[in-house]
Amino acid sequence: MNTILKIIRLSKSFGGLSALREITLEAKQGQIVGIIGPNGAGKTTLFNCLTSLYYSTAGQIEFQERPIVPEVAETKRRLIKRCAILFFVLGLIWVPLFWSSFVPHTFFKVEVVLLGIFILSIRLLLVRGLVRFQIWAWGLMFVFLISDLWFAIWWLTHLLSSGPMIGTGIPLCYFAVPWGIIAGPFSIYLILQLVLRKVRQLYGFRLGPDAICRLGMARTFQNIRLFFNLSVLDNVKIGFHVQIRSGVLGILLKTRSQRDEEELTEKEALKYLRFVGLDGRAFDLAGALAYGEQRRLEIARALASKPKILLLDEPAAGMNAQESSELIRLILKIREKGITVLIIEHDMKVIMNLADNIYVLDYGVLIADGKPDEIRTNPKVIEAYLGGGTAHAET
Amino acid sequence: MRWQLYKKDPRFIFLSLIFLAVLLPWLPLGASSNYILRILTTAVLYMILALGLNIVPGFTGLLDLGYVGFYGIGAYTSGLLSIHYDLSLWVILPLAALNGALWGTLLGAPTLRLTGDYFAIVTFGFSELVVLLLRNELWLTRGPMGLPGIPPPSIFGHPLTHDWEFFYLILLLLMIVLLVVTRLQDSRLGRAWFAIREDEIAAQCCGVNLIRYKVTAFAISASIGAMGGAFYAKWFKFIHPDMFKFWESILILCLIVFGGMGSIAGTMLGALILIPLSEVLRAVLPQGLFNARYLIYGLVLVLMMRWRPEGLVPFERAQAKKAKLARERLEI
Repeated sequence: MNTILKIIRLSKSFGGLSALREITLEAKQGQIVGIIGPNGAGKTTLFNCLTSLYYSTAGQIEFQERPIVPEVAETKRRLIKRCAILFFVLGLIWVPLFWSSFVPHTFFKVEVVLLGIFILSIRLLLVRGLVRFQIWAWGLMFVFLISDLWFAIWWLTHLLSSGPMIGTGIPLCYFAVPWGIIAGPFSIYLILQLVLRKVRQLYGFRLGPDAICRLGMARTFQNIRLFFNLSVLDNVKIGFHVQIRSGVLGILLKTRSQRDEEELTEKEALKYLRFVGLDGRAFDLAGALAYGEQRRLEIARALASKPKILLLDEPAAGMNAQESSELIRLILKIREKGITVLIIEHDMKVIMNLADNIYVLDYGVLIADGKPDEIRTNPKVIEAYLGGGTAHAET
Repeated sequence: MRWQLYKKDPRFIFLSLIFLAVLLPWLPLGASSNYILRILTTAVLYMILALGLNIVPGFTGLLDLGYVGFYGIGAYTSGLLSIHYDLSLWVILPLAALNGALWGTLLGAPTLRLTGDYFAIVTFGFSELVVLLLRNELWLTRGPMGLPGIPPPSIFGHPLTHDWEFFYLILLLLMIVLLVVTRLQDSRLGRAWFAIREDEIAAQCCGVNLIRYKVTAFAISASIGAMGGAFYAKWFKFIHPDMFKFWESILILCLIVFGGMGSIAGTMLGALILIPLSEVLRAVLPQGLFNARYLIYGLVLVLMMRWRPEGLVPFERAQAKKAKLARERLEI
């Protein structure tokens, strides 16, 4: 059995509060991995970090031996932050330079000011994107860097002696020359960095939640998040979103491939509803389902994206004994399909029956891991759940 | 039996309505026939605009207060193109739609990261910006002098002059827009929009790229608005920056809220009721109270919010009806 998911020393802190501290976790293909812990232990935070809803502060996640959150050293992170801020500050000077070189001697012209505001706001957005390691930001920055470089060279060659004025009386060269001297080497440095090395390895781009889903990681939520005003069938169809490709043009022209895709979607959606036993209610609104059925619908929606790994966040919460034993059967059926399951659960009967491996979290720290029987007798776990005094009394 | 099935199918109701509309110019209405036709043309125009706007707040769940900006862009694109280049209507309409989509994308791409009210404020600012540009760029738009003398559209060399011709033209446009909107609604794209409206986080975790789908919604909505504007310029033959003020945005938003956010039938019904209502009130109210019609307008909306806050045809009901039809289709 090969490892499908590997979390290496993952940490997440909200301001000063550290919700996760150096969690290390491993899931093998086809396993059911349980995650337990008292309330507020950081279990859901872990899931949110896995699906990119939160960005982890440090550590690595490898999914199918591919880093989805690559390691970024703290020094590199600081360097990127500084570069990004410098990039924005250069933009601040760039705009008045741009405007005075195109409409010299004027202090205010609506179009140019608007353009300047537009460019500055894009640069500001870029800074946020850069620090969050988002791919679009780096791509767009490349374009900006080339334009910066071009302008720097142009000013240094043309405006050294006496250029046009900014507003009235301030010669442009006082701004343009220092700017050119800073911006030139800076943009050359960053462009070379971007071109010469493998960018992904160097900076470690983050994937958004949608890209994570496309890679094959689907999840359910602790507080049910269905599309309540849509029909049950449509909910599952949205889960199937990543499996089909039709774009605007295909939809408007209703091409053959688009119609085929729609038919396939409907068939597949019904298939998944049958799998969780909801095919009888396919045409009701999702909001009209009972609580247990909504939980199952959420699982069906997650399965529809054909995940390799399924994250279940307290699937048995609020279920009675019969419903939860049905749920156990369902999860075993999912495992038979070859899908790895990560499950957070408070119901010990469910987790002890299902899990091959259990990890126990307490206050963001991993306190134990092992087979269910080991966990059951682990004194640290008992202490975390029942408090120190009881564990002491037992011995 | 068959009749029963037809009666349930919204397409049947829609077709019979279109049939009625096509007959309408030939009904013996006497002298006021042209007046009624003009009011109905306005109503259908607002139907198109409301259908376009509906994509953003109704389908995707983002409050858009700047829709009239795209309407204005479409109108001026159409007016300027036909004055300076004398292009055919069939060239102008797609060009106006493309121009609207372009500005929609340019506005949407950086600002759609904002959520809720902040986004609404940005769109509001955009519509004000468009009006300011139209008013101040004299070289392009002639500013507050307006743009008079837009040549009427001609079809196969025959210039449209009669009211019924324009009425048929706008009906044709309505059909096109309706086709676009219904197809989008029942597709992968439409489902992604609904998912974003219902729950952004869950949508993301189902693999929906929020920014991409929000920008697409915004661009398509903008292009429909611009197409409406293009028709308006050709029909009214005179456009002025004041026609595209903020109030229009609110009016179109009211139509949607009145009819039912997100439901196509509701949106059209809203336009069909509220737009002629203003003209009816103009006729009914005494001379002095003439402007009180907006008061009555407001009253209608307030009462609506009290008794049917979800609109005339609520989205959920349209959705349930669609599901029922699908069930019948699959079982037959």
